[in-house]
Amino acid sequence: MTSKFHYDLIALVIFAIVIAFGVPALMNYDGFELNTFARYLALAIASMALALSWGTAGLLNLGQAATFGMGSYAMAMHLKLRASDGLPDFMGWNNVSELPLIWVPFESLAFTLLAGLLIPAFIGGLTAVFMFRARIAGVFVAIITLAFLVAFQLLVINQQGMTGGQNGLTGLAQLSLPGWTVDPYSTGFYYLVAGCLTVALAIGVYLTHSKFGLILRAIREDADRTRFFGYNVATYQTAIFCLSAALAGWAGMLYTMVLEFASPTYMGVSFSLAIVIWCAVGGRESVIAAALGAIIVNMLEGRLSDVFVEGWHLMLGVIFVLVVMFMPRGIYGVITETAKRLHHPKRRHRKTDLQSSSTKQLETGQES
Amino acid sequence: MDVISNQLFAGLSMASILLMIALGLAIIYGAMGVINLAHGEFVMLGAYTTWALQTYAGIGILLALPIVFIVVAAVGWIIEKVVVQNLYHRPLDTILATWGIGIILQQAVRLGIGAESRFVKGPELLSGNTQIGPLIMSNYRIFLIFFSVAVLYGTWLLMTRTEFGMKLRAIIQNRGISECYGIEAKRIYSLTFAYGAGLAGIAGALITPLFSTIPTMGTGLVVDAFLVVIVGGLGSLIGAASAAVLIGEATALFSIVINDTLGRIAVLAGIIVLIRFRPRGLFPTETRR
Amino acid sequence: MKRRDFLGGVGAVGTASVLSAPSLLTTAGRAMAQGNDIPVGLLFSLTGAVAVVESTLHNAALMAIEEINAAGGVHGRKLRPIIEDPASDPATYADRARRLMIRDKCVSVFGSYTSSSRQAVLPVTEQRKNLYWYPTLYEGRECSRNVMYGGAVPNQQQDVLVPWLVENFGPRFFMIGNNYVYPKEENNYCKSLLSELGGEVVSEEYVPMGHSDFSSVINRIRSEKPDVIFATVVGDSDVAFARQYHAAELDPEKMPVFSLTRSEVEVKAIGGEAAAGHFSSAPYFMGHKSPENEKFVEAYKSRYGGDQVTHFVSEAAYFQVYQFKAALEKLDPANITPEAIRDAAVGLKLKAPQGEILIDENLHTHLWPKIGQWQSNGQAEVLIQSEERVAPKPYAAYEGQTCTGEGLVKA
Repeated sequence: MTSKFHYDLIALVIFAIVIAFGVPALMNYDGFELNTFARYLALAIASMALALSWGTAGLLNLGQAATFGMGSYAMAMHLKLRASDGLPDFMGWNNVSELPLIWVPFESLAFTLLAGLLIPAFIGGLTAVFMFRARIAGVFVAIITLAFLVAFQLLVINQQGMTGGQNGLTGLAQLSLPGWTVDPYSTGFYYLVAGCLTVALAIGVYLTHSKFGLILRAIREDADRTRFFGYNVATYQTAIFCLSAALAGWAGMLYTMVLEFASPTYMGVSFSLAIVIWCAVGGRESVIAAALGAIIVNMLEGRLSDVFVEGWHLMLGVIFVLVVMFMPRGIYGVITETAKRLHHPKRRHRKTDLQSSSTKQLETGQES
Repeated sequence: MDVISNQLFAGLSMASILLMIALGLAIIYGAMGVINLAHGEFVMLGAYTTWALQTYAGIGILLALPIVFIVVAAVGWIIEKVVVQNLYHRPLDTILATWGIGIILQQAVRLGIGAESRFVKGPELLSGNTQIGPLIMSNYRIFLIFFSVAVLYGTWLLMTRTEFGMKLRAIIQNRGISECYGIEAKRIYSLTFAYGAGLAGIAGALITPLFSTIPTMGTGLVVDAFLVVIVGGLGSLIGAASAAVLIGEATALFSIVINDTLGRIAVLAGIIVLIRFRPRGLFPTETRR
Repeated sequence: MKRRDFLGGVGAVGTASVLSAPSLLTTAGRAMAQGNDIPVGLLFSLTGAVAVVESTLHNAALMAIEEINAAGGVHGRKLRPIIEDPASDPATYADRARRLMIRDKCVSVFGSYTSSSRQAVLPVTEQRKNLYWYPTLYEGRECSRNVMYGGAVPNQQQDVLVPWLVENFGPRFFMIGNNYVYPKEENNYCKSLLSELGGEVVSEEYVPMGHSDFSSVINRIRSEKPDVIFATVVGDSDVAFARQYHAAELDPEKMPVFSLTRSEVEVKAIGGEAAAGHFSSAPYFMGHKSPENEKFVEAYKSRYGGDQVTHFVSEAAYFQVYQFKAALEKLDPANITPEAIRDAAVGLKLKAPQGEILIDENLHTHLWPKIGQWQSNGQAEVLIQSEERVAPKPYAAYEGQTCTGEGLVKA
């Protein structure tokens, strides 16, 4: 535990206060606005989950959307069963006459919540064991997870009788917890999502500053050297992969509740790459920054698409390219660099000389 | 038996298309370590250039090929100069940047030309079929197979028999030392990227008569092309070719044994296992990177 | 080290508060009623994979709105189109539909092409008691009281077609479609018709969405030699299928493709030569002869360019706006709600380009099925036109279930 831990804790507390009090107050507790923002917060969990495996352990998981989708389908299956008396409607249309066995336990809410976390964790763990036992690293992790994602999405679409196919699971009930039916437009629901994000971030902050996080960073920097120190690299990598997958599943469950349906596009390549982009924009080194990245990009997307109906997609592309070129460490990097320079003005000249021209432009941009 | 021989030809035809798309990617990735997710959009640009040449200048596909190559290579060259060049020390970030470039190209085409699907006529010369016993082969597909082999051979010559190729191989081995010998690594990289983009453009031009020409046509291609490159092995041309044949034939055979969807899943699963056990590909090259 | 880290943390929070700037947060930019206008939403993808078709629907609906406004609007009030781009992504559809229905308070939203996008909008429109006008042919078995279905359901596409096929071409069907609910459902219905007519299905194939290499499928068609190829391949997959079918020199005289989904848009991309000789079943073709259609085609071409085409979905996108207008005219201007519009629309008759159509109490539309054969100029020649308007039966394949004015009734 370093003192950095305390500063991150302060950041986390302030972040939590802003999303708990600042944001709803600014929106006048309007149901629509809160619902929209709750969507961003759910996505922020997916983004921070990726920051754990990518930023901390250096494992770029392009299949993050697959585990996200598992969580969202787990929740959707439960809500679908609640909405239908007997067999869900789409099964009848696909000539499925009996509830498939894997659907049965989703009657229970407790099982659903557990499954939404544990199934992604288990599948994530399997892929991790499969890859890391063979010491697969770098770009190969990205490609294997990507291929897995494509195959998994195809499989889900293909099993139409079980998954609703291309349309996904629709016509869901609202989640009923003991004494509370969760209306996605309510302030209560917003707080539920905000609370989940805060807890997820707390876990993330704790982990990155624990010894576990330190070892992961060591693996990121040099896996062989860490191995020579006697650490079982594959075990650590698998652990963080599981955890990241579980968090993504958690995000998926909330996402289904916000949008009131589950779709195979949640497991699409473009969605998976979008998560990577959010994480990169925020800064992959910090879970809080990655969560912020998701919120900022989605807000920007919402805002741009509102104003420029024709050109918003193009603008997003331009922004991504600029961010990758000029902000290699994301918003987090800009902030830490600026802070460093403000506090070490003497070293400023030497530093600037060493930095690449791109960073220079970035920094002047920050000052003006 | 008839079905199988026809399916084998279908697999070869798929392989030739895959190979043409993947070849440019293999060069860019193999030589520069850049994961170019905008590659599909280069294919798309090639298709649209062909369409524009055919519609406005009346130039058929085959005659348009050199022009398409130059146009798309120029676009690639500019992109390399403006964006990719700044990212060589951060290979994973090229994934993100080139994805952004892909969005930009796609949207630019949509805004400039329109979202609707465009029609490109195939070459008259190559219409029709050739029949050998029960085996019925479309002439155009036969042409694609031979053309892809020719492109492969041409690229191999470029890499091994020219000064440019020698310089590039030197840089791949050791950039620092090559620069000491007076090789301008930056220039060679730009040209390599442009060449890879140009190849993608040609692939785009050649597949339009079989597929539909829309701004999003490249998105689905890039994942497959990437798998070919990785399975083939880093920077190995012969590897890319054999991977393309392997994947093409496997897809074709699985699709009659099971069906197209499950066949594709099976191929993907096979690829994952292959990468797991041979992460350096079918034909790994010895490089110091 | 410590200080920098501290600032790192604080910085992150700083960004959070910058973010909280109201300009970014409250999205109520161009919302709310401006004066006396009637806000209507247009929710068609202008970007992404489906934009190929949806942009034409967007154009047709927008044209109808502007025609109505140019003619003085409804009760002297103008329709104010609010345009959103859901980018071919279901989650974005859900998000944008919320904007239109909740924030912008549209009294109706016109939108979408794919089933999955309609399903994404469904929870919002039902919960907010809004009205979603869906112009596309679809698989049926849906009975929402908050969706106006303007396209054909399976019985309207096949009741005329399939018996005609069996009689004129033969009983052996080869089914090829994309792997999702619409093709499967159409094939289900077709199979039930075939079992009455004594036909058989020699093969039933589904390819993934966006699939573009049909050599395996074509090889199978070649070896099966079916009488009829019954196709429900959509979008760019269909374009690829048709072009490769043609390149393989399979003769439409011997093995014609009968498509439920191929329209003028696809044919334009396929090329007249490759499409010629094959057939489509739809309630509308661009070449249909009627004064309403001449006016529609003329207006569309002069507005969007002489090379543009109209098709059976854009026609519905167009006439649905007029149905909406006709319903509004029946209402008291002071009391316009989505549900009042719906109730006023039931039973409404309208001269559409395809013929006089009627809105059923189950909110689907009575249409005029036609069978057209494609010509090398990219237009279809209408061979068969149903003698009477065909009523929509969205649950035709499911015995004991009917969609009525009270919603779904199970016997």
